Amino acid sequence: MSERAAKLIFWIGTLSSLAVLLALTWDTHRSFDALTHADRLSPAVVEGKRVFEKHNCNDCHTILGFGGYYAPDLTRAYKRLGEDAVRLRLKSPEKVFADSYRKMPQQHLKPAEIDRLVDFLRWVSDIDNHDWPPQDSQARLKASTRRLLAGAALSPGAALVNQESCLACHALGGEGGDRGPRLEFIASRRDADWIARYLADPEALTPGAAMPKFDKLSEAQRRAIAEFVVSLAERRLP
Amino acid sequence: MTFRTQRVAYPYFVVALLLFALQLVMGLYLALSYSHAVPQAVVDAFPFSTARAMHTNLLVLWLLLGFMGATYYAVPEETQSELAWPKLAYAQLALLSATGVAALVGFQFGWTQGRPLLEIPTSLDLLVVVGALMFLANVGVTILRARRFTATQGSLLAGLVFLALLYLFGIPFYENLAVDWYYWWWVVHLWVEGAWELVTAALMAFMLIQLTGVERKVVEKWLYVELGLFLFTGLAGTGHHYYWIAAPKYWLWVGGVFSALEPLPIALMLWDTWKAMKESHRPIEPRLTWVFIVGMAVLHFVGAGLFGFAHTLPQINYYTHGSQVTVSHGHLAFYGAYVLLNLSFFYFAIPRLKGFPGGRYDERAGHWGFWITSSALVGMSLAFAVAGVLQTYLERIQGQPYIVAQSPIRFWMLVVFLHGLLVLVGVVILIKHLLTLRPAPAAAGS
Repeated sequence: MSERAAKLIFWIGTLSSLAVLLALTWDTHRSFDALTHADRLSPAVVEGKRVFEKHNCNDCHTILGFGGYYAPDLTRAYKRLGEDAVRLRLKSPEKVFADSYRKMPQQHLKPAEIDRLVDFLRWVSDIDNHDWPPQDSQARLKASTRRLLAGAALSPGAALVNQESCLACHALGGEGGDRGPRLEFIASRRDADWIARYLADPEALTPGAAMPKFDKLSEAQRRAIAEFVVSLAERRLP
Repeated sequence: MTFRTQRVAYPYFVVALLLFALQLVMGLYLALSYSHAVPQAVVDAFPFSTARAMHTNLLVLWLLLGFMGATYYAVPEETQSELAWPKLAYAQLALLSATGVAALVGFQFGWTQGRPLLEIPTSLDLLVVVGALMFLANVGVTILRARRFTATQGSLLAGLVFLALLYLFGIPFYENLAVDWYYWWWVVHLWVEGAWELVTAALMAFMLIQLTGVERKVVEKWLYVELGLFLFTGLAGTGHHYYWIAAPKYWLWVGGVFSALEPLPIALMLWDTWKAMKESHRPIEPRLTWVFIVGMAVLHFVGAGLFGFAHTLPQINYYTHGSQVTVSHGHLAFYGAYVLLNLSFFYFAIPRLKGFPGGRYDERAGHWGFWITSSALVGMSLAFAVAGVLQTYLERIQGQPYIVAQSPIRFWMLVVFLHGLLVLVGVVILIKHLLTLRPAPAAAGS
């Protein structure tokens, strides 16, 4: 190869790739507003991003998959946990993770900071990023729950979940609210005993929990709900 | 050493090496935080996030100081003239070191920009910019005054200017998270897979010309091809970070195709190094300097090229993105490419700065240092890789909750920690060896 050819490779390689990068950067900017729902990017959300950065959350947690890998990804945290559980973790991490081998620092956030962080995480959770991460994939949750619900009509637990309007606060598949954690998420972390006891008195197991007591139900009914919830897990854990 | 002012390089090397040791201590704390339960009181006082900010910023700072020192060594030799302002070079080192210390202390007190790798607060960013301008002015004026331009120093200077310009994209506050990450990668990706590769290729070419006596024209011809391929694959290859940030779908294609080609220039560099060694007009010595250079070419290819390729395609990256798989690749790539480049250069330059005949030195301890550090680093990356594959399967494919999927990973993080201890041992040997380098026994006797 001659020196001339080598120089030619350098200039063509560099300039063509640079042209691709710059042209696509320009085009990508035209898409960001729609894909991130920029109309909902209020001053409160922006303030939330500042709080997020002030407390260096991103060096333990990933968001959009970037950052520290020491704690769960936050892209869909708002949808997975629900607003109340997010608030509880921000306010009293030392209580929520008292029994966990992985702790979150108590940063003494002001109530307004917690509100703004929640605004920020709510906005992030709606970003259209090709349904990443896979563990929170909406398409996947809907499909797996649809399969389950097909057989659940006969289940007394499912009937009780319906009767007690659990989905007013909790998500299940493609349905439900986002105040509490989604039921599949609970299913893969807790056993039926725990859930049944929690239904009777949430405060006793999770201090500060916003979940109402279901002590008007019989123990057998609470058990039925718990077993239904547990059956939602994609895989049972040992 | 031919020029008196090349001596400014030495204090850069010393500071870089000391920061390197500190970086490793932070890394050990991080690994231990994964494998063991750290009590709440400790987490409140010194959270993982603070230690991680220190670990990564120390890495960037010491590698950059090493590059700058290497540049100050190489430029007088390339231009055949003294450095324009040697005193300014010392002032620049003092400024950048002080900024680095202020940043580290600041992290502990919550003074942070809060964006991974770019945690340094804006006011300190400005000092970094001042330091970079001092550096570029010094090097630029030296080259302009000498009026002797070579492809090697052209590549070096282009890489350094590119590096400094990209840093600016990391300074502002971005309101939209997606836009924020878009430009975050202009700093991080275009640094390590663009600007830093230019610096690396240039410093490698410089060392090869000096060590082998192979004709400059031949080495620099391949340098052009390498740079062309690095930038062709690296610039548009930024797209492999845009798959899941709320950017349009075409990035899956652009990122996938361009970054699949990214191993090519690194393979070329490996082949080129090998060829230069085979065709060397001079004996292959000092042996240890060559061990570092070849080790760098090989591990650069494995860590950056192969480990990077393993998870760069979007079909795989959907599951591995943001997991320990990235960490595995990151550690071996940084070690193979930039840590070994710096160490190679230190072993090349320090004997010459000290005026040892033929650049030869007493090598013994250094061989131990290289093999302990390199094998421990490879072992560490494999342990991270096991952790990453577990995390990918349990959390992303099976759908287990994060914390449940983490528990089998804790053992592998202990394995990482143990390898980290070995890395520290190896690096302490290397630092001690480099800072107390003695002439080769035979040369000392004659």
